[in-house]
Amino acid sequence: MTPPPMTPPQTTPPPMAPPPATGGPAAGEGEHLLAGITALIERVLASVTEVAEAMTAVAAAARTGRRPLRRADLAALRPLVAQVLARHRGFAAGAGVVLAPDALADAPRCIDWWWADQGIGQLEVDLDPASAEFYDYTTTEWYREPARTGQPCIAGPYVDYICTHKYTFTVSVPVVDDGRFVGVAGADILAGEVERMLLPGLSLLRRANRPAVLVSGDGRVIASGTASILPGTVLRPAGPVTAAGPLPWKLLSGPGLANAAGR
Amino acid sequence: MQTRAHPGPPEGAFVAPPALTTVRARTLFTPLDTGGRADTVTRRLAKAIRLGLLLDGERLPAESQLAGQLGVSTVTLREALATLRTMGLVETRRGRGGGSFVRAPDDPDRLERPLRLLSLHELRDIGDHRAAIAGTAARLAAERALPADVTTLRDHAERLRGAAALTDRRRADARLHIEIAATAQSPRLTREEMDLWSEIGDLVWLPMEGADVAPAARDHDRLIDAIEAHAPERAREIAERHVAAETGRLLDLRLSLHQR
Repeated sequence: MTPPPMTPPQTTPPPMAPPPATGGPAAGEGEHLLAGITALIERVLASVTEVAEAMTAVAAAARTGRRPLRRADLAALRPLVAQVLARHRGFAAGAGVVLAPDALADAPRCIDWWWADQGIGQLEVDLDPASAEFYDYTTTEWYREPARTGQPCIAGPYVDYICTHKYTFTVSVPVVDDGRFVGVAGADILAGEVERMLLPGLSLLRRANRPAVLVSGDGRVIASGTASILPGTVLRPAGPVTAAGPLPWKLLSGPGLANAAGR
Repeated sequence: MQTRAHPGPPEGAFVAPPALTTVRARTLFTPLDTGGRADTVTRRLAKAIRLGLLLDGERLPAESQLAGQLGVSTVTLREALATLRTMGLVETRRGRGGGSFVRAPDDPDRLERPLRLLSLHELRDIGDHRAAIAGTAARLAAERALPADVTTLRDHAERLRGAAALTDRRRADARLHIEIAATAQSPRLTREEMDLWSEIGDLVWLPMEGADVAPAARDHDRLIDAIEAHAPERAREIAERHVAAETGRLLDLRLSLHQR
């Protein structure tokens, strides 16, 4: 990465001034902007991975012991789940594990999810497919994607009216034992907290007349540095973008942002 | 900074949650702000029962425990429970195995009672409020939906089509409208739909007792089509007409109750 070239101050810059063709201040600042939030999310991901690894061990112990995996076996994971909530207090609002249908011998479906607010509580949802209020977690992005790809995923942002009641991301990690998909471990991250971390950088870029917008892999606006593009709307990224390291997120600025906003 | 060596919560911090310390506990039983009043408790519990968060036959926690969770005195709670008994939403049994139990049977007479308490003017006003929320939610959902959101909406529409009992239909319908507001990416509109459905959800399906679910299902299909096609104005119009039709049926039913 070459250091950003010095540019003479512009007296009356046009809105969304295009950055220089290669490198450019926006790209450098963009990477800097994303470094902090990426590191924080990766720490949550590391904590969730510990839960996933423990769940793999629990499943493996049942398999090698030639006994069925049961609901009660999940109790061993709870201290680790509590640790996720304690370590990332105020950032991760919920955490737990969900099981693939028929992974347990004594429950066709199971969600062992805990939320942290004033205290800690267990999420209770209707898991009976015949019920009108059936909560089918297998259709959620945070379950479906790790199940399909075998890779960790960050789903959202989405309105989580089931657990956090807020605009939320869910980080999830697949649990695979002996080639068999057992379920996922995950944590809910509040979108407001993510935005709070990005806002100083975004407003700096805005003041420098290089407004930037962070979008999810689907093009959903996570945080916007311009009032003309609303958070939660969908943009079609076009042109150069700054990838957020291992996250599927992209930072749009300059002409790429102008094109995307023209949807 | 916390590291991997972080000891985690003290031992015993992760105790099994007491009864009702669940997500529904959090929505409906978060401590009341200003000392708490019997009518606030009454409203909150009635809402939980109408939303189906507390199920028919479910036993409420012991008075002292429930009062503690709600942040009110047992005297206030007893007052609220007395009102709920009058409303027919709670039944208290004495003796061994006794306690307060939720009563939410699928009984049209019980459901008609709240309708008798509402004037035509109030019903019209509820319709206006619903149209404002559902119309805006539909418009924004059409602007902001991703393909996966549309798939979720279709799943919920299908679920409503398969629901037979009145309460199942009401719950599936509520869920679909809440999901549309979530697709609009608005926690506030989502909360508003949840509140509206808990308040008037029973009423919406009342005139549809025994009726064919197909016309409502067609409205929903057209609405989801408009959301999928990113046609915000069409989505808003369909949602508003859908609410207007339901309000019209309620006004009809209200007038017919008056004749009986």
